[in-house]
Amino acid sequence: MNLSVKIGNVKFLNPVTVASGTFGHAEKYYNLEEVKKIGAIVPKTVTLNAQAGNPPVRIAETPAGMLNAIGIENPGIDKFIETKLPAFKKIGVPLIISILGHNDKEFKEIARRINKIKGISAVELNLSCPNLKHKTLVAQDPKATSRIVKLVKKELKIPVLAKLSPNVTDISLIAKAAEDAGADGVSLVNTFTAMVIDIEKRKSVLGNFTGGLSGPAIRPIAVYMVHKVYQTVKIPIVAMGGITCAQDALQFMIAGASMVAVGTYNFVNPRATLEVLTGIKDYMKVNKIKDIKKIIGSLK
Amino acid sequence: MSALQNIFKVVSNERLCPRFYKLSIDAGAVAKKVQPGQFVHIRVNDSFQPFFRRPFSVYRAKKYLDVFYEVVGPGTKALSNKKKGDDVDVLGPVGTPFTLPSKKAKQIVMIAGGIGVAPFLILSDRLKQQGFELVLLYGGRTKGHVYPMKEFKQNGCKVFVATDDGSVGVKGRVSNLFSKIVPDPSTTVIYTCGPSPMMAAVQAFAKRYHLSGQAACEEVMACALGACLGCSIKTTSGYKTVCYDGPVFNLHEIIFENTH
Repeated sequence: MNLSVKIGNVKFLNPVTVASGTFGHAEKYYNLEEVKKIGAIVPKTVTLNAQAGNPPVRIAETPAGMLNAIGIENPGIDKFIETKLPAFKKIGVPLIISILGHNDKEFKEIARRINKIKGISAVELNLSCPNLKHKTLVAQDPKATSRIVKLVKKELKIPVLAKLSPNVTDISLIAKAAEDAGADGVSLVNTFTAMVIDIEKRKSVLGNFTGGLSGPAIRPIAVYMVHKVYQTVKIPIVAMGGITCAQDALQFMIAGASMVAVGTYNFVNPRATLEVLTGIKDYMKVNKIKDIKKIIGSLK
Repeated sequence: MSALQNIFKVVSNERLCPRFYKLSIDAGAVAKKVQPGQFVHIRVNDSFQPFFRRPFSVYRAKKYLDVFYEVVGPGTKALSNKKKGDDVDVLGPVGTPFTLPSKKAKQIVMIAGGIGVAPFLILSDRLKQQGFELVLLYGGRTKGHVYPMKEFKQNGCKVFVATDDGSVGVKGRVSNLFSKIVPDPSTTVIYTCGPSPMMAAVQAFAKRYHLSGQAACEEVMACALGACLGCSIKTTSGYKTVCYDGPVFNLHEIIFENTH
């Protein structure tokens, strides 16, 4: 059974990964023998300088999902490389580093620093965090998406993925802009801008006022967006959006995703990522599919 | 992928007083491992409603793992429906525990508000018969919020109770009980758990008398593994996660404030 997939020139042993910001402290809490089985790990987004994140309240539970407005709390790229990366590398699973710059210069500078280190398989550009008070997200503007992808591609030899926002009229236009600019793949979807109101206080529940909605609640929209993007671009798609089990993940793969990431559901079932992998293998066995590529984009 | 996630059987799920329940879980391995102040993150059912797990301080860890809870929303409502023999999905123990008092401590003052009393039974289980003077100051809304303090008394704790309406103990807040103790900065240690305004009052009291202390905090939580950074609170050294850096913090490090 061949489960391997490729993004750019990098091969991943299987298509199952975790969405950025949902995987933490593996060395302390996870069974590393199990973690070693997944296709790739995507740590939480790193910025050039350290960020404290947004004021609490940062999360809210919603029907079949959650809102978050963490605000990319992270130690900054240098400290990340020094203090967090070694533990991730030790796991031995390919790493896709998610990065975010607040302007062109920052994206370029982070890319430069990543270029100097070894053991990174790919970079994911977070062009779509909805919680940072920017008026427009990069991934809401095809021109800005193109510009950022181009400048990062110039700095990096490893594959570059553009993570896209669902908060757009037509996500396939943005995906096309990323492809034309040289992106090796696209990741979709990031969270949907949303809010929850406390009716007693008549205030927004979150400290950041709005947040990003994720979880099974958004899954059918995400599947549709992956389908739409798959019809428009030729580069691989890394799909995420409410995946809880293999059946969910397979919908995304049939729609056209080469890789699938479990995100929010890691918080509910820390074993979900592994269960997705096992379930995909079972599906292939039952349906006598020898190569995972036969599933990708197989929608009739 | 977490080695800490397991399915166990419910031993019992009793209503102990009008507001509070005790769930006993046949989870000896967790009970053996858990330290006072740590918690378990429980999935109350298999549906997406409620979506998150729910964090519960461990109340007692002997043969079984006990959690003590109040029915306040859909999660605890679902938990209260668990029957003997039902499966329960437990992640834990997780979180930073209480640091146990040093040998030079003499008086251990536990100050609890409402369901915040939960981590103090296991703490007093560990501290009993070690020569400490154990004191519990406990505040609840009404009589229905005050679980009979039998187990604490069996552990040798002096128990003082306050209720908002005076239906049990002193009328008023738990801060009305501060006068019950004679603090000594070199030998009195404070442990507190309860609503933020109450812990802020405890912090002010501890500051006034130069007492060291620890506080167990509570926040809405998603992962409980330090991954999502959703449960962060403000401290003197920046935002810290309640699930991973806490739930126990140095009392004087926490910045209590209304976020809105």
